[in-house]
Amino acid sequence: MHISFYSSIFVETNTTIMKTVNYLIISGVIILLSAFTINESVNLKIADNYSIKFSGTDVEGIFKDLKGSVQFDETNLDASKVSFSVAVNTINTGNGTKNKHAISDKWFDADKFPNITFESKRFTKSTVGYTATGKMTIHGVTKKMTIPFTFANDMFKSKFSVNRMDFKIGTMKGMSKNVSNAIELDVTIPVTK
Amino acid sequence: MLLFLLLNNKVMKTNLIHGVLAGVLSAIASVIYLNVYQNLNFVDFSSVINAGSIIGASIMGCVFMAIGYVLLEKIGKPNGKGVLNLVIIGLSSLSILSPLLMDLPLELDFPELFPALAIPMHLFPAMIFFGLDPFFKAK
Repeated sequence: MHISFYSSIFVETNTTIMKTVNYLIISGVIILLSAFTINESVNLKIADNYSIKFSGTDVEGIFKDLKGSVQFDETNLDASKVSFSVAVNTINTGNGTKNKHAISDKWFDADKFPNITFESKRFTKSTVGYTATGKMTIHGVTKKMTIPFTFANDMFKSKFSVNRMDFKIGTMKGMSKNVSNAIELDVTIPVTK
Repeated sequence: MLLFLLLNNKVMKTNLIHGVLAGVLSAIASVIYLNVYQNLNFVDFSSVINAGSIIGASIMGCVFMAIGYVLLEKIGKPNGKGVLNLVIIGLSSLSILSPLLMDLPLELDFPELFPALAIPMHLFPAMIFFGLDPFFKAK
């Protein structure tokens, strides 16, 4: 009789504990999932008709190859992140001799540093659009950069300037000094969901 | 006026025919080279160079050479032809700088293949003009 009484109390207590544990697990899972939902941003694919133009004194051209991953949500900038990689040897200045010169060790040294990369760390909203702060690597030199951009109609657009001497691209001697330090970049990246 | 003068003189007429014929042959050679080169290299430079512009430039170049010959005969200097030929060779050689220095539209692929297409075309008119010269020598 006593045994049966204690046994029933033990079973009841055990069931209560089990229920509590179950509730805790379920709550934990819900909180975890909601956290993922909050931090989830939209994965976007880079469409083919992107363009990367550059111009400066005595130099103008495009890069023809862009790869990267884009996770961007205008309503959730904290969870947004992008990384881009541009193949240096796809440079086109419209002149074959200039192209060869550009990828040589005198300028970009494409054999040693085949890619220009940008990896975002933080996005902020600005008065005209957004800014992406991250690490830009060109010619093996990595610098922190803040790039302004707009996003509308599934299209990223950005105009910014890069000081080539910051990245040790070329020199300011001889004919190279005719090329301005500041190189303007005009980037358009359409994306699809 | 110039055309009238050229056609009313046998020597001038001969020079004009020399120039036009050299221009036509040079244009034919250039257009054949253009097509062969583009097909072999899988490139298309038609937005910067085409048969029409090649034919026009070749004929005009050779007619200018012929006019130079006509003017030389008017002046009648003994070594004039040699000097003029050197000037023509010099100008043709200088003209190859333009395809070397030219920046093509950025949407065109393989700009490094453009000079090898355009440079021979700059030399064809003078080569063919000089090649035909013995057939048009005044007897």
